[in-house]
Amino acid sequence: MSVSSSSKIALGLGLGLFLAACGGSDTQSEKPAVDTLAVDTTAKETELLNVGGRIFSIPSPVQAALAMRKAGLKYRKELAAPLEKADPAVGKTAQSTLLGIYGADLAYATVHKDGQRAMATMQAIEKVGSKLELTNAFDRALLDRFKSNLGSEDSLLQFSGVAFRAADRYLKENQRNDVSALVLAGGWIESLYLTISDPAAANDQSIVNRIGEQKNSLDALVELVQTTDTANGAANIVAGLKELQALFAKVSSTYTFQEPVTDAGKKTTFINSTSTVTIPADQLKAIVTKVTDIRNLMLA
Amino acid sequence: MRRTLLILGLSASIAGSAQELCGTIAARCEQHITKQYIPDGQFYRALLQGDEQAEFNLTLFGGTTYRVAACSGESDGILVFNVVDKDGNVLFSNKDQGNAPYWDLAVTNTIDVKVEAGLDPTKAGSGCAVMLIGFKK
Repeated sequence: MSVSSSSKIALGLGLGLFLAACGGSDTQSEKPAVDTLAVDTTAKETELLNVGGRIFSIPSPVQAALAMRKAGLKYRKELAAPLEKADPAVGKTAQSTLLGIYGADLAYATVHKDGQRAMATMQAIEKVGSKLELTNAFDRALLDRFKSNLGSEDSLLQFSGVAFRAADRYLKENQRNDVSALVLAGGWIESLYLTISDPAAANDQSIVNRIGEQKNSLDALVELVQTTDTANGAANIVAGLKELQALFAKVSSTYTFQEPVTDAGKKTTFINSTSTVTIPADQLKAIVTKVTDIRNLMLA
Repeated sequence: MRRTLLILGLSASIAGSAQELCGTIAARCEQHITKQYIPDGQFYRALLQGDEQAEFNLTLFGGTTYRVAACSGESDGILVFNVVDKDGNVLFSNKDQGNAPYWDLAVTNTIDVKVEAGLDPTKAGSGCAVMLIGFKK
């Protein structure tokens, strides 16, 4: 029995769909596979794949907000993006980056115990999320849970983390990796913007280090946004991130391996390796300017 | 034409099932990021066959305890994962801990690492691998 050309195309499409449904097909095996517990010990040459195609981990905005609080930087709610941007935001790129920006602002307000602003930001997130068809993650129930736990920072950070993870999962399961990447880009830029906008930040070594430590994350972000922006809708943002990347190239770092210690009882490994970063002062100024430019571009 | 539609329909159905399967694994994996940990807001997954490995790069910030959860198949312990530093030193392998489905990494200084994950060949030949990350405040 032969298979017609149209059937072959259909079969190919089907297999593509299948692969995409479980991790994307960009770099993965062309062979269809099903999840199974069957033993298959056939020796094959090891092949490395990136999770979800070109997916990298981008630091959570919550960590940036916690670092700011720990360093004693003053909370300045006027730094956060205007919430009225949620209504006029049009287009996938603007909406996606705005969602990420609001996510970082939400973490900033929550960590600094500004419940009122956090609630208002969550409402804006729901609005933008709805435009991006992410009502599975940001819905009325989440708003209600958020509202009834405004006094509990831990609960709010949990809720938002779970909601953003659910949104990311939904986007990746529906082959909307471009939106996922831009949400991460918006959150990353806003976190950096909030961090560097305090003049005191440049004098706080822990914060300066934290900025320099973002170098690899930026490399990942550039690759992520560039790879997923197949329609070139985010070309300006990619260009801005690349300019920022060039500035970060002058950040130097050292790393010294130290033997880690594992406590099996606590299911914990203590990683004791040491590292340092150095950012020339003029480079830090240039980074501050570029981050502000990219953020303005995202909010334009 | 009828055959084309049939194949498309079947393929879409398989795709839906695979997605559902990854979803089931994700739901189980999420249980390992308990309430003490704040989810990093991202979802990592890969389709693995044989001895293929998935890898992803991340920066672990100093002074933070991270929880890494790695799941596949219908039960815990199917996914083997290594945390490797930029020089190739293995900082942790869950293989040494009975394929533990989650582990905490307490990080003193900021470090860039790579997590490599693959199926335990004695337990699975292929499957959807899901990794999740959370951290303590």
